[in-house]
Amino acid sequence: MTRLAGRIRAIPTWQVTLGIALLALGFLIAAQLSAEGPRIRYTTQERSPLVETALELQRQQDELKADLVDLSDQLAQLEQQGQGTTAIVRELNAELEQARLAAGLLPLTGSGVVLRLADSTHAVTDGANAADYLVAARDIRTVIDELWLAGAEAIAVNTERVTISTGVLDIGHSILVNQAYLSPPYQIAAIGPPDLFDQLGLSEGWREFIETRQGTFGLDISFAEPESVDVPQFAGSLVLRESHAVASPGPVP
Amino acid sequence: MSGPLGAPRSQLLVASVAFILGLLVVGQIRAQTGSTGLAGLSSQDLTLLVANLNTRNDQIRSEIATVERQLEALELGGSRGASSISELRATLIRIRAWAGLDPVGGDGVTIIVRGPLGGPAVEDLLNDLRNAGAEAIAIEDIRVVPGTVIGGQTSVSVDDTALSDPFSIRAIGTPESLIGSLTRAGGIVAQMAATHPDVTIEIVDTRDMVLPATERDLLPDHGRPRL
Repeated sequence: MTRLAGRIRAIPTWQVTLGIALLALGFLIAAQLSAEGPRIRYTTQERSPLVETALELQRQQDELKADLVDLSDQLAQLEQQGQGTTAIVRELNAELEQARLAAGLLPLTGSGVVLRLADSTHAVTDGANAADYLVAARDIRTVIDELWLAGAEAIAVNTERVTISTGVLDIGHSILVNQAYLSPPYQIAAIGPPDLFDQLGLSEGWREFIETRQGTFGLDISFAEPESVDVPQFAGSLVLRESHAVASPGPVP
Repeated sequence: MSGPLGAPRSQLLVASVAFILGLLVVGQIRAQTGSTGLAGLSSQDLTLLVANLNTRNDQIRSEIATVERQLEALELGGSRGASSISELRATLIRIRAWAGLDPVGGDGVTIIVRGPLGGPAVEDLLNDLRNAGAEAIAIEDIRVVPGTVIGGQTSVSVDDTALSDPFSIRAIGTPESLIGSLTRAGGIVAQMAATHPDVTIEIVDTRDMVLPATERDLLPDHGRPRL
């Protein structure tokens, strides 16, 4: 025993350090290889360029949206400058602002609620579908519908405003909103009456959703009621290619 | 090898191991944090994602060009001492039509649904139409706008108005694109045929239809513009 202890003490310190470093190296190589595992299953020669293309397109989209918001702000300012000219310009400008407000083309602030949805951290039980433990497009659509029913008047998912043209789409285990790729966790901001969250809690549909998606599958669903909620404007195309306006018999809203 | 740490060979060895260790640590951290959700997507899903991102980017570029033209026209009008009234009118008509505040006309598709289809399945159909480029949608004579909720489990109600069986969904957009998206292999109609065998979905290419304006008040009461 004393001989063994003596031998251990005789090992130079740098060799011990090197040994520990090599052990860590081995561990990291194993971790790296196991992390590559799921990707290798999908890998084809074209896959890596596709990921890079998607990331680059999303980056371009973010820049384009910022440019569009900037230009739209400039346009609104220029329209406002013409306010004092003639009665007809003033009237048109007022109608334009109302139309933009109704269409979701202006950022809003007001009372409301912010909900956050994240994938479950629960272990997938035997025989269960692993996809049920992830936030899906249908979850986002359910929350949006329940918020509308509770009295919401403007909703955004992460940075995407929900408008007349908004689609919420599953691609694999990712979600596209307004054809923009959104990363989890998903933050759904809604402006509405001050008791919006209370109204939401009264909905049978909402309670069922919470019981199933949070209770059964463990989705991480949380909420906050900040003093004021901000919802961004829609940054996308209003171009109508196939449709044209038809004279409306109704009054301007 | 068994020499002291001060020996150049030993120092070189430790430095090499530390270097590789550092590289692997950085690689591991990046793999954990920087790969985004894209790491788990198949090539097919990634292709679909790239196509969607391309479409949206083209749409935003087109909108930027439109806004730039409007800016130019207004600046030109301003320099002549008057704002361009026709430009303002054109913008107003465009926004109101897009937002569902005015009726719109054009070509598209009519989807006739027969059988016990619930609200969530109809929402799936509407979602597919939007992603395929539908510019305006109405269920029977109710224009679908933000706030429109489709309810019901075996029969459909729109904004608390129960629909009869059969009912129709009309969408304006390029008919070929809409029909192609709805009826593609593994698409929404094929999925519904599998999950709702009692339901029949008929899709008709429809020309020159008119969809009504919404009757909802889309102006916010609790939100105010953030400038």
